[in-house]
Amino acid sequence: KWKGEGTTQNLESIVIGRCYDYIRIVNPSIGEKNCSQIWEAFKNAFINKDPCSILPEDYELFINLTFHTIPPNKSLFWENNQLLVNSFADRGRRYMSLGDTLFGFVGDFLNWCGQADSPGLDYESCPTTMECENNAVESFWRMLSIIYAKHSSGVIHVLLNGSAAGGAYPQPGFFADYEIPNLQKDKISQIVIWVVDDIEGPDIDSCGAHSVKTLETRLTALGYDVTCTDNDK
Amino acid sequence: MPLQQGSARMRQRTVLLLGIVVLLAALVLAVVLASLLTHGRHEVGPKMLKWKDRGTTKNLQEVVLGRCYNYITAQHPELGDKDCLKIWESLKDAFIYKNPCNITPEDYQPLMELASHPIPCNKSLFWSKTGDLVHRYTKSNQNFLTLEDTLLGYMADRISWCGDPSAPGINYESCPKRNECESNPSSVFWKMASKMFAEAACGVVQVMLNGSVEAGAFRSSSIFGSVEIFNLNPDKVSEVHIWLMQDIGGPQSESCSGHSIQRLISILEERNFKIICEDNYRPVQLLQCVHNPDHTDCRLCTNST
Repeated sequence: KWKGEGTTQNLESIVIGRCYDYIRIVNPSIGEKNCSQIWEAFKNAFINKDPCSILPEDYELFINLTFHTIPPNKSLFWENNQLLVNSFADRGRRYMSLGDTLFGFVGDFLNWCGQADSPGLDYESCPTTMECENNAVESFWRMLSIIYAKHSSGVIHVLLNGSAAGGAYPQPGFFADYEIPNLQKDKISQIVIWVVDDIEGPDIDSCGAHSVKTLETRLTALGYDVTCTDNDK
Repeated sequence: MPLQQGSARMRQRTVLLLGIVVLLAALVLAVVLASLLTHGRHEVGPKMLKWKDRGTTKNLQEVVLGRCYNYITAQHPELGDKDCLKIWESLKDAFIYKNPCNITPEDYQPLMELASHPIPCNKSLFWSKTGDLVHRYTKSNQNFLTLEDTLLGYMADRISWCGDPSAPGINYESCPKRNECESNPSSVFWKMASKMFAEAACGVVQVMLNGSVEAGAFRSSSIFGSVEIFNLNPDKVSEVHIWLMQDIGGPQSESCSGHSIQRLISILEERNFKIICEDNYRPVQLLQCVHNPDHTDCRLCTNST
């Protein structure tokens, strides 16, 4: 029916398990959360609805239940370099990327969608963003990107892939469309951009050039103190 | 006759009243019993043994199940035939209601069988005193697998569990430390899982050791030194590559020419393995450099390249 992969099998066990994993092991400092309630809020955002009619706001209750503050100077935004970000962020100890927050942690790498007039999850197929923008997964990450950007403070870091085809700063993209517009200027002291090429990868983009220059110009025009470094060691 | 009818009615009423009283008493008894039983389930039984290490992780079942499904569904779909519920049950059965100082390898045999899976050749990565670094490396380079990157290790990493003979059979308050008793659920588990991980290795295997530790990079008392090297199969494993990593800007306690490494090499050579040792294996050092970019060891062009 749809062109995308269906809902991840055992989604409920995975989400609830990750929720407890986070509050018991990964980051117990955020305190007690009700993981069953969190699963219900997550599910209710998209079940029993047309899978092309899910909006970021539908996840509001989920956000309310999973929210915790992001320590200042620890926000790490990124595009096209998830593996590098994972080891760079050191599981939230050095930096806290969106995937290191409770709300991002439970949804990372998973896929899901529902169907109209049925409380069940669709395990067969789900709409891709090309088929419709307002799908369950896209809206989830849009909402989370907005929240993550809104609550970031201090020195914020952006890790871009200088070997990515099409440029290190993708437009459209989550960082461009949902994160930059929601940064709180009065809470941010500096924006540090790192452009890192894949090891033995092509050097397509760098500071002061092409899409990175576009990004630097945009952020400076918005009034931020911006620095950029190439090929972080 | 009216008097007889009156007394019959009174007897009826008495019986009725008695019946109601009995019912009420039964109800009260039931409520009291229920509250006592549920209260007891959430509270540490007064007879539970007390130990020095942290207790069983709360929500252990949800965490283990979630990790199992996460591993086979989201990360390794080729293991799709694994039954996570059965795997959880076999873990629980290994320790629940048992004295946590009497755990044996046999207790874990069903779990080991259900959760084990083959490891591709040339990918096994052993480690000792380099836990943080080695797992950061496998997170960014999926060509290598530590025990904690297999299903068994992934489920058990960083959680704790132990049982107790009294109800509810799981001790959430404390668990035995290794020096309190060796046959505790955690030590027996990791010893067994490490043995199986070593037995499953084939081709070229790698080991990441710490050259900044005062007590020496290779210790016979570590799991690597006491279990893993002796369970590598010389018919399957051809070479052992040692990566001797020193902390950036940290003490250079030992290098490949050091005493404990020479000892390790001789043990392995005696078992017919070919050994290669490399000081500060560059790809891993680059990862260390991410957090120390200004150190001289982290300059992009070094004299050695």
